[in-house]
Amino acid sequence: MSVVTTTLIQNTDGAPEFVISFVSNSVKFWEQFIQGVEKVPGGLFVLNYIRASHKNDPWRTLLEILLALVAIRYFFASKYSQDEKEKVHLSEREVQELIDDWQPEPFAPPLRKEERWQLDAIPFVEGAAGNRVSIRDPKTGATIPNLLNMASKDYLNMALNKTVRDRAIQTIRNCGVGACSPMNFYGTQDVHVRFCENLAQWLGAEETILYGQDYCTPTSVLPCFLKRGDIVVVDGGVPVALQKAALISRCHIEWYNHNDLDHLEEILESLQEELSEGPPNRRFIMTEGLSENFGDSPDLKRLVEIKNKYKFRLFLDESLSIGTLGPNGRGLPEVYGIPRSEIEVTVGSMANAFGSSGGFCVGCHDMAYHQILSSNAYVFSAALPPYSASATSAVISLLQQEEKPGQVNKWVKPLQDNTKLLHSLISKSSKLKNLVILRSADYSPLIHLRIDPVLREQLQFPGSYGGPGSEVKKAFKNGHEDGYFSRDYNTESYLLQTIIDKLIGSGVLITRTKRVLLHELLPVVPTLMINVNAGFSQNEIVEAFERIETAVYSTLHGLDAQAVGLLARSLE
Amino acid sequence: MSKFVSTRVPDAPEEHISQEEKAELEFGTLTSKDYLYSVHYDPTRPLNPAVDEPPYFIVIFTYLNYLILIIIGHLKDFFGKRFMPQYFEAVLPKNGYPPWYSAFESFYPRRLKKRLDDCFSRPICGVPGRFVRCFDRISPDYNESFLYSGELKSLLNLSSYNYLGFAQSVGCCTDASIKSLEKYGTSSYGPRTQIGTSDLQIETEKLVAKFVGKDDSLMFAMGYGTNANLFTSLVNSKCLVISDALNHSSIRFGIRLSGAAVKVFPHNDMKALEKILRESISQGQSKTHRPWKKILVCVEGLYSMEGDLCDLPALVALRDKYKFYLFMDEAHSIGAMGKSGKGICDYFGISPSKVDMLMGTFTKSFGAAGGYVAANQDIIDRLRLDISTNVYGESMPPAVVTQINTSLRVLIGELNGDEGKERLQRIAFNSRYLRLGLKRLGFIVYGVDDSPVIPLLLYAPPKMPAFSRMMYERGVAVVVVGYPATELISSRVRLCVSASLTKEDIDKILTICDEIGDKLYLKFSSGISGGEKNPGDYEKGIAPRWSLQEVLERTPEDCKK
Repeated sequence: MSVVTTTLIQNTDGAPEFVISFVSNSVKFWEQFIQGVEKVPGGLFVLNYIRASHKNDPWRTLLEILLALVAIRYFFASKYSQDEKEKVHLSEREVQELIDDWQPEPFAPPLRKEERWQLDAIPFVEGAAGNRVSIRDPKTGATIPNLLNMASKDYLNMALNKTVRDRAIQTIRNCGVGACSPMNFYGTQDVHVRFCENLAQWLGAEETILYGQDYCTPTSVLPCFLKRGDIVVVDGGVPVALQKAALISRCHIEWYNHNDLDHLEEILESLQEELSEGPPNRRFIMTEGLSENFGDSPDLKRLVEIKNKYKFRLFLDESLSIGTLGPNGRGLPEVYGIPRSEIEVTVGSMANAFGSSGGFCVGCHDMAYHQILSSNAYVFSAALPPYSASATSAVISLLQQEEKPGQVNKWVKPLQDNTKLLHSLISKSSKLKNLVILRSADYSPLIHLRIDPVLREQLQFPGSYGGPGSEVKKAFKNGHEDGYFSRDYNTESYLLQTIIDKLIGSGVLITRTKRVLLHELLPVVPTLMINVNAGFSQNEIVEAFERIETAVYSTLHGLDAQAVGLLARSLE
Repeated sequence: MSKFVSTRVPDAPEEHISQEEKAELEFGTLTSKDYLYSVHYDPTRPLNPAVDEPPYFIVIFTYLNYLILIIIGHLKDFFGKRFMPQYFEAVLPKNGYPPWYSAFESFYPRRLKKRLDDCFSRPICGVPGRFVRCFDRISPDYNESFLYSGELKSLLNLSSYNYLGFAQSVGCCTDASIKSLEKYGTSSYGPRTQIGTSDLQIETEKLVAKFVGKDDSLMFAMGYGTNANLFTSLVNSKCLVISDALNHSSIRFGIRLSGAAVKVFPHNDMKALEKILRESISQGQSKTHRPWKKILVCVEGLYSMEGDLCDLPALVALRDKYKFYLFMDEAHSIGAMGKSGKGICDYFGISPSKVDMLMGTFTKSFGAAGGYVAANQDIIDRLRLDISTNVYGESMPPAVVTQINTSLRVLIGELNGDEGKERLQRIAFNSRYLRLGLKRLGFIVYGVDDSPVIPLLLYAPPKMPAFSRMMYERGVAVVVVGYPATELISSRVRLCVSASLTKEDIDKILTICDEIGDKLYLKFSSGISGGEKNPGDYEKGIAPRWSLQEVLERTPEDCKK
C-alpha cells in the first residue's frame, strides 16, 4: 500500500494544489480505514480474502462492489416506490381542485321503492316465538295471535322448556347476564368449562371451544388452520358463513358439486400431482352435516373413506344436524355410526336445536389449543353469556337422560316423526305437483319448497340468481352499488312472500330464504322454508300442511308470465 | 399431601351469604359524596398527554430478554424435535398429515406465552363485579396442565370490562332479565330477518338509537361479529378504507373481508391522515386513477390497549373538509365516557350527526353481550336487509336484550332515580384517582385522565407474569398484555376501572402497586405525562416520586382538578 501512496504523491507535477491535498488526504484516510479494519477481530482475514480474490480476478472485485451497492440501494429504497412511480404529479392547486370536485357515493345505497316491502316482510314477533306465535301486522299495527310457528329454528322445542329455563335462571342468579371478559382473561366461568366438557363427552370429542355467535364460528376457526398455500375443497352448496371462511383464509379453494362425492374424488385425484410436490400443506374438505340451503346430507361413510384415502381433513358444519339427526340427535356421524374422532373439525350452533345461543367447535386437543391462541373471534371477543352455556348443558343432560339403546330418543322422536309426516304429505300431494318441488331430504326438519323448474321457466324466471359471472357479482367487482339489485330475484321473492302472507291469514307462519345476492358466492334459487318443530302434534302438522297446500295452490296455479310482470310492476 | 389434587375445574361451591352481602361484593356502596366526579372536557389541555419514554437501559434490557427467550426457544425446538419428538407431536407431520399448525407460526405462543399461561384463562365463578372469585390452581408441569384445590380466592377486580358495574346478580337489571327469560325463553329462535325480530329487540334498538343520538340502530349477538361482518355491506373494492394503526382486530378483519383498498395511518396522527386523504382523493384508485367511490375513515373512540381517545374534533373538521365517511367504534367508550355516558361525542360535546356510523358493544359497560351500529334511518334500513349477520346468523337472545334495555334506562335516569348518574360519576372519579395515584408513585401510565382503561407499562416480558402473580397473591385480578397485542417492547398491564370499586378499594390497589412497583423496579417515569410533584419538575429533570402516604392523602382531592 505504502508504495502506491508514494508513487501517487511523486507524480503530481502540474496538478492544482487542492487536488494534491485531496488525493493525499483520501489516501491517508483509506490507509487509516484499512488499519482500522485490520484491528477488528476477523478483519484481517476478510482483507486477505479480498486481496487474494482481487489478485486472481480483478473484475470480480468490481462486480462485487457493484453488487454491494445494489443491495444497499435496495435496502434503503422506499417500500412503495412502485406506487410512487404510478403517481400523477399534481400541483397543490390541482390537488385542491380535485378535492373540491370529489363527491362520494352515498354511504349505503338507499333502499329502492321496489325493495321496501322486504322490511315489512320481516315478522315483528310479539312475545316468544314458541310453537304458537303472535306477530304484529305491519300495515295496521294490530296483533295477529296464535299462529302455528314454522319459522323458528328451535327444532327440539327447548327454548321454553322449564328445566332449561330454570338452569339458565339459576346461572343468571349466580353470575349475572354477561361474561364481561374474553375467555382468555377472566371470562371463563365454571359453567363454561362444564358445558365444554359435557358437549365434548356427549359427542365423543376431546375438546370444545366456545364462540359468542354461530355465524362467526366458521369464519374464525378455518383461518386458524388454513393459510396461503394450503388447500380447501368445498361443497358447492355451503351457506355464506362457510363460503366466507374459505375466502378469508386466502388458501386455494376448489368447489365440488353439492353432495356429489364422485366429483369430489375426481378433484382430489386431479390435485394429487400438485400436492405431491413441495412441502406438505394443510388440506381440508369442507361440507355440512345437513345443508342449510338444500336440506340434504352427504354420504358421510364414503366421505370419510375418501378423505382418509387422500389424507385430507374434514371440516363439518353441523349447525343444523346436531340435535336433529341420529337417534339421539348427535348429528350425521350418529346416523352413519362413525366415531366423532373421524371428523377432525366440527362446528355447530347452539341457537338452533339446542334452543340457546352461541357457536362451538369440537375436535382433538391440539386443534382446540391452537384456537385458544389464534382464533380471532375467540381471542378478541367477550365470552358467551354463562347462562347460554348452562342452558345448553341442561339440554344435553335432558337428551342423555332419555338415551336408550336401540330406541330413538324421547326428545328427538317427535321431531323426526313430524318431519317424516310433513315430507310424505307434501311429496304425495297431487295439488302441489307441478307447482312446487320438495328440495329437502325426508329427514330434514328444514323443508325447502321451490317453484317447479318448468313453471319457473314459464314465468320467465332465470335458472338461478347471483353466483360466479352473474350481473350482481360483476357489479360488486366494479363497485356499482346500483347493480346489487336483481329485479327478477326481488319479484320471485315477492311472489313467495304473497304465499307467506296468505298463510299468515290462515294461521300458519312459515318463512322463505332471504339471501343477499351480494354476499353469496354461489348461485341462489329462492325457496319457501318450513321448519318442523318437535312440539307440534301430528294433527297440527296435517292442519299446517293443508293450509300450505291451499296457499301455494291458490297463488301459483294458473299463474302466467303476464301476471308476474304485473306483480313486479306493482312494486315499482 | 398437597391440597391441589384435581385436574378438573371445580364446580362453584354452595354459598351461604345474604343478598345484601352478595350485592356489596358485586357493587360496593359509595363511602362518601367526595368520591364523585362529573366529567368535563377542557379543550385548552392537550387531548392525549405526551407519552413517557422509559430509560434506555430498560429498552435494551427488554430486547435482551426477548433475544434470550428466542434463542433458548429455538434451541429447545431444535434439540427437542430430534430427541424428544413425543413433546412435539402437534407441530410435526403425523401419518402423512401435515401438523395442525407449524412450529414457526406457533413459536411465540409455545415458547413465550406458555411461560405465563397461568396468568391467562383463570377459571372463575360468580359475578365478575367489584370482586372476582378465581379457582386456586397450580401447575406441576410448567403450565402444560393445572391442578385445582377446589378453593376460591376472592380478588379485587381490575380485569373485567365492567365499567359501570352492571355485572350484577342482584338488582333491577337481573330481575328484569330473568323475567324476560321466563317469558321469551332462552333462544332468539333464528336470524333477524326470519323470526328473530321481537318487540323487545325493536324497543331496545330505538332506545339505543335515542341514547347515542342517531335515527335508528341495529343490534347483533356478538360484538366482534358486528364489526367483522359490517364492512362488506358498506364498501367494495372501489372504495378506500383509511384505518387507524391500532384499530381492533375485528375492524381489520371486517375490512379485509370487504375487499376494499386499505390505507393505515399512524395511531392518532391527524397530519398523516390528512396527507393520506389529500393524496388518495387527488390520485384516485391505484393504476386506473379513477376517483374512489367512497372513502371511509375507521377509528376507535377509546383505544382499549392505550387508554387514549381519538381526536374527534380534528376528525370532524377533516370530515367536513374532505367529505369522507366517519366510522367510530365505541366498544370501550359507550357508557364509560362523557358526562351522561353517551360516549366520545358526548365527551367532546360534538353532535353525533357528525359521525356517520357509531358502533359499540354491550359487553363492557352494560354487563350484557353483543354489539350495535347506529346511523341515519336510510342506512339502517339498508343494513337491516343486507348485513350478513342479520340474515344468516342468530340474533341476540332475549335475556341479553333485556339487560341492555334495563341498564340503559338506569343510566338515563328512567329507572332507580340517580343511580345512573352516581355510576357515571363514580367511574370518572375512580379512573382519575387511580391514574393520578399511579403516576405520582412513578409508574409510566398511558392514556387520558378520564379513561377507565389504565395501561401501566412493564416493558420487560418477565415482569408480566411476575406482576400478575404478585397481584394475584395480594388479592387483585389484573390482565397483562404483551406482544402481539402491543408493540414488542411495551408489554403492559391493563387495569380496567369499574364504578363498582370504592375509594378504599383503590387505596388498597395503590398500596399493593406501590409495593410491587418497588420489587419489580417499575417506577421510572420522567413526569412528562403530568405526574410532576411540583410544576416544572420535568423541565429540571426531577422525576416525580411521591411517598405512598402523600399519594393517598392528597390525590383524592387533586384528581378532581
